[in-house]
This record gives sequence, structure tokens and C-alpha cells, in this order.
Amino acid sequence: MNPVLRPLPFTWRNLARRPLRTGLTVAGIAVATFLFVFVESMREGVRRATEAGAAETELVVYRRNRFCPFASQLPQSYERSIESVPGVRSAVPVKIVVNNCRASLDVVTFRGIPEGHYLARHLEGVRMRSGSLDEWQTRGDAVLVGAGLADRRRLRAGDRFDAAGVRAWVAGVFESDDPQDANSAYAHLAFLQETAQRGGTGGIVTQFNVQVDDPRRIEEVAMAIDERFASDQFPTSTRPASAFVARAARDVVVLVSFAGIVGWASLVAVFALIANSIALAVRDRVRDHAVLRTLGWTELGIAWIVVLEATLLGLAGGALGACGAFVALRAAHLTFGMEGVSIEVAADPALAVVGLALATVLGAVAGAVPAWGAAHREIVQGFRTA
Amino acid sequence: MAAIECRSLRRDYVRGEETIHTLQDVDLDIESGSFVALMGPSGSGKTTLLNLLAGIDRPTAGSIRIDGREVAGLGRSALAAWRSSTVGYVFQLYNLVPVLTAYENVELPLLLHPLKAAERHARVAEALEMVGLADRHRHYPRQLSGGQEQRVAIARAIVTQPRLLLADEPTGDLDRAAAAQVMDLLARLNRERGQTIVMVTHDPSTAARAARTVQLDKGKIVDAVVHGSVA
Repeated sequence: MNPVLRPLPFTWRNLARRPLRTGLTVAGIAVATFLFVFVESMREGVRRATEAGAAETELVVYRRNRFCPFASQLPQSYERSIESVPGVRSAVPVKIVVNNCRASLDVVTFRGIPEGHYLARHLEGVRMRSGSLDEWQTRGDAVLVGAGLADRRRLRAGDRFDAAGVRAWVAGVFESDDPQDANSAYAHLAFLQETAQRGGTGGIVTQFNVQVDDPRRIEEVAMAIDERFASDQFPTSTRPASAFVARAARDVVVLVSFAGIVGWASLVAVFALIANSIALAVRDRVRDHAVLRTLGWTELGIAWIVVLEATLLGLAGGALGACGAFVALRAAHLTFGMEGVSIEVAADPALAVVGLALATVLGAVAGAVPAWGAAHREIVQGFRTA
Repeated sequence: MAAIECRSLRRDYVRGEETIHTLQDVDLDIESGSFVALMGPSGSGKTTLLNLLAGIDRPTAGSIRIDGREVAGLGRSALAAWRSSTVGYVFQLYNLVPVLTAYENVELPLLLHPLKAAERHARVAEALEMVGLADRHRHYPRQLSGGQEQRVAIARAIVTQPRLLLADEPTGDLDRAAAAQVMDLLARLNRERGQTIVMVTHDPSTAARAARTVQLDKGKIVDAVVHGSVA
């Protein structure tokens, strides 16, 4: 038998035939790994939503010193002035209505945008899962729902739903990689302006989404826009989209950063659990190891038995926890919403693989010290100790 | 040629500032295929001598030649390989691995040998048949009596067909009937397979089953009695 695989039957039987100890240890590792993957998924979601890429070309024009969509009111007529600023390619007026302005895991965000080329421009590149854009064009109360929101609320084309005082009809469901799109319902601007009870009505929008020609000039364009309206009745605050999300979600960003400590602490828990379990197992099996050595197993063989057991525990618990976290996140479509922006908890298989790999490696490392002790105990001393 | 030759064998243990001379200048020859009992009071060095012969302990001084090979100077890995191929060891308290069945316990030493699964299976089956426990191969140690456990331990010791079988008070924890069964089995192995057996015992009647008794006291050989053929 291959020397590396030689202890596998023995190790497997040791694990399988001590189901309580194995079960409890694996469950503990699984919970800790689940927590790690979950927290890292939150951090990854925040990173994706708030980190500016070198090619970022989108600006968000908001009302200065306003932080909630209900309070940010800008005249729709600003559109032409913004488009006349050098470096601006296009500007889309957007009215945002949310059911909850504070941080929440189930925020419904309506984004009202004008029909026609505005819609085509704003939803460029999205993939329709069901329904169609044509259906949206033909009905005033129609909304196009992002897949994240649709899955969370179990919405399909043809459904009606109520949120934030708006009763809308689902014309279609679309998929988008942008969490802001994936967790929003796009409505006709006029419909939202008439229907929404708060945040201003006709002729008033919440923000402008502006595309610039050159990503290198994005800050310069933002300053030019704000300068244009600085002495106006409705002064603006313009930021790159990622910075806008980071500012709006600052509380969540801080919270999630803090949660990162919990994530890494859970890895320490994985290590401690395996180390404790293996240390106890080695102590209980001093006689067994002495017997194996008497039968001809080498010190390295004994060490490998112990490390293999610890690694298998880490692998099993890690697989359970990482897969569990991935499946749960995939199914739940969790999104932090606050002040009209969304941060999606990333259900990324790469994070599950990282969680699994870390749990497995930590298992091996946690088994190393007990393995050293087990391997280097003299055989006769082993029988005396037992 | 003697199977086992011990010359000026010494084993000291240091406890704090005290040095305990467990074995002192032991010279011992054991012929190939013989059955020898080591007797003596507690602390006389019987088990220490057996452990040295098994290669699970190292002498402080002296030499141990087994089948012409100097064992005392072997490195750890070489010694482990030598144990695996040459020595079978039977413990007083059986020392079966509790989570393994009788079959799996007997199979353990064979996992170190380059055997195909079918051959491994055949060897385990033969060993269990030899000790009369073929029908108990799926039982765990906790499901066996003391005598049965010891017979499984003997099967484990002989499954690699070692030239040297060492037994440390193999009947010490058994009732009279089970002890008689175990001794019959050892005598049969010695007679039919020609295995060299060295057995530690306190019991004179058990020692009488061996062809020769070596008496130890205070770490020295004080007497040797030849009984004749194995009973």
C-alpha cells in the first residue's frame, strides 16, 4: 500500500467509529467556517461596491448635504445644464423611492427613469431573465425588477407588488452584475413622481447619473458640475459612483470591516477546535500508538496518522461550512440597503474554496504539534503512560 | 547458531538523581525454534529484557544479535522495519485497538507490507483460523472475552509470520481455562511453525510448558532450567 495512503483506513475508522466526537468537532469547524465565509462574502460585497476601478466613468449628482433619497431633491431641468458641462457624455435623471432609508437587509429601491433612450442607456448590458422591455414601455405602472430583488421577493413577470407606498406591475426581471441594478425596480419616472408620497413630485428627481467621456477626468468633471450649481437654490454634491456608495453606506462599511475581525477569529476557533480534539485524541491513544510502533509503524507514520486525522476533520468541517455558506448566500440573495444604495453580499464560490482550503490547512497545522508528541514518545514510555 | 545472542546487556533508567540498574551484564543465548520462559519476581528485569529483544527499548550497553544481525545499533526507521518483519509481540493486556474489529486488528501489521488486498485477506483469515476465531472476525474487542481478545492479539502477532514471537505474561489476565487455550496455541505455533518463542511469566506451571526457563533476579540471570520438549 502507498505509504501516504497507508494510514487512511485506520484514520477513517478512528473518525467514523467515534461519531459523537467526530460529529461535534466537524459541526464546530463547520459553524466557524460558515461564519468566516459569510463575513468574507460581506467584505467582498462591500469591496466590489465601493472600490473604484481605473475605468470608472459614472458620477452621481446628489443634493448637497442630503443623505437620504427622501431629502435629496433636484430639479429635473438640471439635466441640460449637466450635459453641457465639458467632459459629460450623458446624464440620466433618477428618482429614488425606498421603503426604508436606514440600513436593512431587505430594502426595496424604486428607480424612476425617463423612457426611451434613457432606459436603453441606463440598462445597457443587462440580460432579461423574463418579460421584456417592450412590456415595460407599454404600461405606466410597469417596473423592471433586478434579479436580486426578484429572488428575494419571489417576483416574476406579470406579478403585482407593493412597497414604499408604490403599487407596481412587474413587466420583466433582468440580471445585472451591478448590485445597484440587481436590487432595484426600474419604474417610469413620471409614474414614480406622481405615485410617491415623499421626496417631491413632478419635475423633481433624487439624483443624476452622469457618464463622463474620460475616466481620468472624472474628479475634474465632478467639480465642474458642483461649481455650476454652487450658488443655485439646489446646490449639488457630485461623486464617482463607487465613492457615492461608500459614503452612503459608510456605517455598513465600518461595521463590515469590524466583522472582518470576527471572520478571522472564527478561523482561530477552527484551529483551536481541531487542536483540542486532536490533543485529546492523542492523549487517549497513547497505548494505540505504542502498539502501532511495536508492530513496525515508524515515527513518521504515527505523525502522519495524527496529521491526516486533523486534516480530514478540517476538510470535512470546512466543506460543510463553506458549502453551507455558499448555498445559503446563493439562496438568500442578501443585500444591505441604505440611503437608496445596495451592497450585495457576494455569493462567490472562490470565497467558499478559500474557506475550505483554510480550514483544511489549519487542520493540518493544528495536528502538527500533537503529531510530533505522539511520534516522539518512546514506545515503552507509551505503554507505561497508558 | 543461536537465534538470539545477548552479550553484556545492560539497561539503566535514570529517575531524578537515582540510577536504576534494571538489567546488569546479561548474557543469554536462545536457539532458533526454541520456546523459552523468562521468570522472576517483579522488578527482576523480565519485561525489560523482552522489550530489548523486541527492539522497542534500547540497551544502555551491550549487544543483541538476532539471527546474526546486531539490533541494538539500528536506527529508528531500520529498527521499525526490522520489528515489522521479524518480531511478533503479545501483550499481557492484549492491547487491541478498540475501534477496530478483530479482522482489522489482525490486518494492522500487514498494512506495512507490500501485499495485494487478496493476499492480505488470505493471511488475516489464516491467522484467525489458526487461533480459532474465524467466526468472530467482525467482532470488536469489547464484544470478545479476555481469552478471545488474547487469541486475536496472538493472530495479530503471527500474521506477518515473524521468526521471533515474544509474549509478556500472555496468560496473566486470563482464567485457567483461557490460559490453557493460549498456552496450547503458543506451544502449537512453536511446534508446527518452528517459531522461536520467548515468554515472560510469573506462573511456574505456565513456565513449565516451555522447553527452557531462564530465571532472573535483580537484573541478572540466576538460573536456567531445561524442561525438555515443549508440552
